[in-house]
Amino acid sequence: MVPSSSLRRFFLPTLNKRYFIRLALVAFASYLVFGYLFIPLCIQGVSMEPTYRDRTYAFSWRLRYIFAPMERFDVVTVRYSGRRVMLLKRIVALPGETVEFRKGFLYVDGKPIDEPYVHHRAAWELPPRTVAPGHVYVVGDNRGTPMDRHQFGETPMNRIVGGVFP
Amino acid sequence: MNNKILFFALVLVAGAVVFFWPSDEKKIRDGLDSLAEYCSSAKEEPVIETLQKAALAAKLCTDPCTVHFESLEIDRAFSQKELTDRFLMMKKRLTDTVFNFHDTAVEIVGDDRAEVLTTLRINGQIVDKQFTDAYEINITVEKQDDGWRFGSFTVVEFMKR
Repeated sequence: MVPSSSLRRFFLPTLNKRYFIRLALVAFASYLVFGYLFIPLCIQGVSMEPTYRDRTYAFSWRLRYIFAPMERFDVVTVRYSGRRVMLLKRIVALPGETVEFRKGFLYVDGKPIDEPYVHHRAAWELPPRTVAPGHVYVVGDNRGTPMDRHQFGETPMNRIVGGVFP
Repeated sequence: MNNKILFFALVLVAGAVVFFWPSDEKKIRDGLDSLAEYCSSAKEEPVIETLQKAALAAKLCTDPCTVHFESLEIDRAFSQKELTDRFLMMKKRLTDTVFNFHDTAVEIVGDDRAEVLTTLRINGQIVDKQFTDAYEINITVEKQDDGWRFGSFTVVEFMKR
């Protein structure tokens, strides 16, 4: 049972110096956490469906790759000129690997890759290409769209802002 | 107590002056906002307004203005007339569409030249279908007698198939 005086203090605080300092600290901490570390995402578009649906929400966790390397199947955010507008994509190939699409199926180093997250496939055809050092190959989960209308490809690792949560 | 209030008031006024001071950077950012506004189209926008906006958007650019967009194989200079026509075609095709520039960095590289790196986000409808698109764009801006004008647009294609 929460004492009524605590509840009253919480909802109707005394506007003293201590309160304003606490308020400023909370605002500053929120700015740091949600502005730089755990960035809220409003997903627009269908390129990651069905994993991430249009007009849903997630977070970009920027410390994801500080201590761990990027791995195949990680969902990541890729920045444009800043972090306000980002792409949500899945890493399918790492530096030095050869990636290709045959009839919509992904092949890495000539071997077919099982992608349980892909529900719809158009017959994408892409000749083999090797991912350059310092780059990763990213694609969206929605392969039902024609290839020329889907934004995907090799991108520098320094464009990756972080992982995605959840 | 009065001194403290006076101090905070002075800080606020100084901040407001710095924020609203009409610097070159602010003029360039205002130009981008105007470009976004003129390129955007409301649903069932009157034809006369569409024509005016296309002409105004083209006037924000130099004559000629260069456009580089590698994946669309566009790499040439456009005259003011061509730009107006292109803006008009785009606005007729993209009805009920909003253009916005985000994450804009402006670097003044001389007395009459600046470099802008920005992200253009387009939200709207094309043939009754909702779409969202984004492009990173490098823009050179030139200072002319009547203000800052966009001299070239280069779409940065950081994702190569």
